[in-house]
Amino acid sequence: MTIKDWIFVLAISGLGMMTANFIGFDVAFTESLPGVLVLLLIALCAAGLAHVIPLKLPTVAYCSILGLLCACPLSPVSQFVIESAGKINFTAPLTMVGAFAGMSISNQLKMFFKQGWKLIIITILVMTGTFFGSLVVAQVVLGLTHAI
Amino acid sequence: MKKVERAYASLRERIRTEWVLYLLAFVFILIADSIGQIKIPVWKGTFIIFPIFYALFLGILTGPNVLKILDDKKVKAASGLVGVAILPFVAKLGINAGANISIVISAGPALLLQEFGNLCTIFLAMPLALMLGLKREAIGATHSINRETNLALMQDMFGADSPEAQGSLSVYIVGGMVGTIYFGFMASMAAATGLFHPYALGMASGVGAGILMSSAVAALSEVMPAYADQIAAMASASETISGIDGIYMAIFIGVPLCNVLYRKLEPTLGRLTKTGRELAGKN
Repeated sequence: MTIKDWIFVLAISGLGMMTANFIGFDVAFTESLPGVLVLLLIALCAAGLAHVIPLKLPTVAYCSILGLLCACPLSPVSQFVIESAGKINFTAPLTMVGAFAGMSISNQLKMFFKQGWKLIIITILVMTGTFFGSLVVAQVVLGLTHAI
Repeated sequence: MKKVERAYASLRERIRTEWVLYLLAFVFILIADSIGQIKIPVWKGTFIIFPIFYALFLGILTGPNVLKILDDKKVKAASGLVGVAILPFVAKLGINAGANISIVISAGPALLLQEFGNLCTIFLAMPLALMLGLKREAIGATHSINRETNLALMQDMFGADSPEAQGSLSVYIVGGMVGTIYFGFMASMAAATGLFHPYALGMASGVGAGILMSSAVAALSEVMPAYADQIAAMASASETISGIDGIYMAIFIGVPLCNVLYRKLEPTLGRLTKTGRELAGKN
């Protein structure tokens, strides 16, 4: 993807976010705008970093770390970043992700039905195991290190 | 990740192919967010259906198997868009982590160690997969949560038409269909037991799959609103770490562990059912 592609697709997702924030949570477009711009700018920088840095790290990793740095107490703009992003409701960016994700697996529906009950059970178990495995370890270590 | 691939010659060409996808996405947002959340109390927890699920479901309907609005090329384009559209959300979670940086740091040891907890699933799912009659497929299916990177890894390690890669692909597909709704539900049930601290629940949500994490975090913030920010902060930190270490965990621990378990368990558990015995005879 070129930088023009990135800007365009991110702008689409920004519009989607504002629409969801307005319809679902009654937050006006103008009120969402600063937060959306902050999030999009972080995302764009993350894409740039992933392109420039020769490490095999996913773009989401850069994106999350950049977000963290912008909002941590050392950042001169942390106040603004936290406040403006706070206007964007948590699930507002997700509706569009869900729409694209649904479309992206829509050609697998037949495959899904062919998999049968065994694979559904195994998948559920894989997810449950992954979640509870780390949940139990996290709970125990948090307790041992007196973090909670 | 450095991918020098250009799906389109120009932005204009991209728009010409993808405008239907954008249009559908906006229509789905209008529908999904107008309906809003639906909460169904289940036991001590809540089964919450978020707009993302309706959008996902509507998206699935558009494809070549049902409404045939999208062809395979557009389906492929949509999967590229998922990766971009999720970035603003990830940035928001990162901001949450930055705003709560002191608790994230104080939880550092737990954050690092819980990554190994993700591997526990092997001990749970592998024996069952063998009992149900899966053979080498079980290794691909249970070595990790099987999202995009793991799928690519299995194809790379064992070959695209190997049973291991097939097992991985199966869990990938089924997970895409049911994962988003199940993961959130499971997280809210875990919260309802009252046994776990919100920080731990947040960390467990970050498993290296953006959409699963979002579903769990959305559900958890709804049932534990007082801790919403901290849950998001922990999930973000854990998700970031998983994104970095996930593939190495799979290569150096997950797959070798699956291989050992397979050798130890298959001769007994793999012969419990008739299918299991028949398949074993064939190999």
